[in-house]
Amino acid sequence: MLRRTLLKSIVAGGALLSATSFASAQMVDEITEPVTVSFYSYNLASAGLKNETTQEMLNEFMRQNPMIKVEPIAAPSNEILSRVQADIVAGQQPDVAQLVFRDLIYAARDLGAEPLEDFAGDEYAAHTEGMVENGLDLGKVDGKTYGLAYTFSTPVMLYNADLFRKAGLDPDNPPKTWDEVKEAALAIKEKTGKHGFFPGAFGPIDGTFVYQAIVMSNGGKVREGNKLTFADAPAAEAVEMLRDLKDSGAYADIDVASHMDTFAAGDLGMFLFTSAIQDTMLKAADGKWELRVAAMPSFGDKPTAPTNSGSALFVLSKDPVKQRAAWELMKFLTSKYAYTQITSKIGYLPLRLDIVDDPEYLKDWVDAHPLIKPNLKQLENLTANVAFPGPNYRQVENMMKNAAAEAVLGDGDPVEALRAAQERAQPLMPGDS
Amino acid sequence: MTDVLHQAEAVAAPRVARTGRFTIAPWLYLAPALIILFVWIYLPLIQAGQLSFYQWNMLPTSTPRFVGLDNYRNLLTLPEMGIAVRNTVWYIVGLFPLSVIIPVAVAILTQELSGPLRNLYRSLIFVPMIVAPIVAAILWRWLLNEDYGLVNQVIAGLGFSKVGFLQDPKIALWTLVWMTGWKLIGFSTLLLSAANSTINPAYTEAARMDGASRWQIIRDIRLPLLAPTILLLSMMTILFGAQWSFVYINALTGGGPLQSTTNIFYLMWEYGFQTLSAGWSAAAGMLTFTAFGAIALVCLWLMKRLAVYDD
Repeated sequence: MLRRTLLKSIVAGGALLSATSFASAQMVDEITEPVTVSFYSYNLASAGLKNETTQEMLNEFMRQNPMIKVEPIAAPSNEILSRVQADIVAGQQPDVAQLVFRDLIYAARDLGAEPLEDFAGDEYAAHTEGMVENGLDLGKVDGKTYGLAYTFSTPVMLYNADLFRKAGLDPDNPPKTWDEVKEAALAIKEKTGKHGFFPGAFGPIDGTFVYQAIVMSNGGKVREGNKLTFADAPAAEAVEMLRDLKDSGAYADIDVASHMDTFAAGDLGMFLFTSAIQDTMLKAADGKWELRVAAMPSFGDKPTAPTNSGSALFVLSKDPVKQRAAWELMKFLTSKYAYTQITSKIGYLPLRLDIVDDPEYLKDWVDAHPLIKPNLKQLENLTANVAFPGPNYRQVENMMKNAAAEAVLGDGDPVEALRAAQERAQPLMPGDS
Repeated sequence: MTDVLHQAEAVAAPRVARTGRFTIAPWLYLAPALIILFVWIYLPLIQAGQLSFYQWNMLPTSTPRFVGLDNYRNLLTLPEMGIAVRNTVWYIVGLFPLSVIIPVAVAILTQELSGPLRNLYRSLIFVPMIVAPIVAAILWRWLLNEDYGLVNQVIAGLGFSKVGFLQDPKIALWTLVWMTGWKLIGFSTLLLSAANSTINPAYTEAARMDGASRWQIIRDIRLPLLAPTILLLSMMTILFGAQWSFVYINALTGGGPLQSTTNIFYLMWEYGFQTLSAGWSAAAGMLTFTAFGAIALVCLWLMKRLAVYDD
């Protein structure tokens, strides 16, 4: 075994020497000695099912791969990046990490994540067969896959069927366009005295993906190359539409930091937010009101552009043996088995759509839980959330978020608020060179 | 006084002259304190000063880039900093009654309560202090919710219209001021009650024998003798008040709605740890340090002039 590996690496090494000064070693073919890999995950940091299910999957993985021990390391999603970073600085090389997409470029350029095509080659191609293409593309930087799409969700319209009935609306026929949303929201507000509609797009709970999904559904873009365009016509019109909802009273006037509480309490008719909260809401609604889910609304007959919130898996190990172990773990966590667990127990989307109709995997569950269907359908036109480039990228994103909130919730002219922010933020973007 | 000083110099000088060399012992005794002070206070301060001229995202793999005064220029031209500074002032102004005026009144008034009643009363006032800030934040959020919050139900029950405590940009800041102050009342009251009980009863008794009224005793004896504590609390409110609201901003509003509750400390944290712009954060920190340093000097000078000590 060792000899074979040795031979292989000599051959591979010879081939590489002539090509480039390729730094990272090829991973080994097989694990022959016990090895421990660390797994940084934010699902492990949450209480309840997300943690339990992930832990269960890791146990199952270790049962099937007795040579590999997984050391789970939990950190909340907004801290996981700094945790990985801190451990690298401290000399404790993380092996596999679950990171969100906004950190993709940083993980590839600065954290030294391994491109999967380079170190797993054919195995990568074989493994990803049957996975959602749109999803896989999101993990690419300059044509190479650094992050393997893992847990995913899109903005969906969660609605309270009881409030619909009380307002004389048909819960089997939820609003499909923004005009219908406005009508329905006003009806709920007038007839039930509860709040009509709320998008989880602004405020301390990150909702940029909801805001961007609305903007892109109207054909807008927050930036083109290094030029900011969030105040330009299609993007600004989308925001003006929200402002119109706000001025008409259709848009709920509630605390943006506790929108989930308000919806859970049954005081809000329609709530546009990530499908990842579906399970939490089902529990909150159980026996009190009926939760239903629809696709996000569209602007007239324009197609919607649901963006993703979610994460990808990254291999950070440098050691060839650990890389093999890390790859095995990654394959396992994105297998048909794992997506069955992830979808049915955590509430994320399955990135292998063939298991949805497979009675061995998700079929029974999907039949019993039709709420997942609008979300599954949205995977077809999944659109990538646009991140900002340059050293001030997060400042620019913040300024855009603040301006959009000001435009929708403030008193001033919405387009003017966006335009002023765009003008101030443009100098912080990298120049065209 | 000057005689004593001269004498002391006369005593000390010959000894130095006699040994004629540098003595290490006093420096050794001072070393731990000096080293800690340097390593934890002055070194980071110098580094923050340096950092404020660089653009850096705090990643060990990236190199800081020198940008001169760009960070300062950005801070001073973008509206965020101006809004944060204005809000910081409002936080301090709003906290003043809660951390100083009400506690002074409570401390003086409860002084005359007797026995168990006084203790009960004081512990009730002190309880908010020991509630963990994040727990307090969440509880207040529930209490103040517009739809099902207890406070709003009472307001509605009394026939008034409901108040958007956390979602109305005009009110949200004052809501956070109240939460911060609510936790401070207990602490301030405790300090003032302690100071109040150390006032020598002989003064008040003598005054009473001279026919002083209750108000006269408070005005001419208690308040002047409480002055050092009152001034200390005032200074703490001015220098730290806005910082104490950080937990509530972070947990409840994230600086919103429409940036109405952000303050300079929250902004610094946002720059540094949310948007990973160490340079921006350091520049904001240096500006804040300079401004509050100047304010602290004025406060100390005022304290020296105004405080009355009962030696």
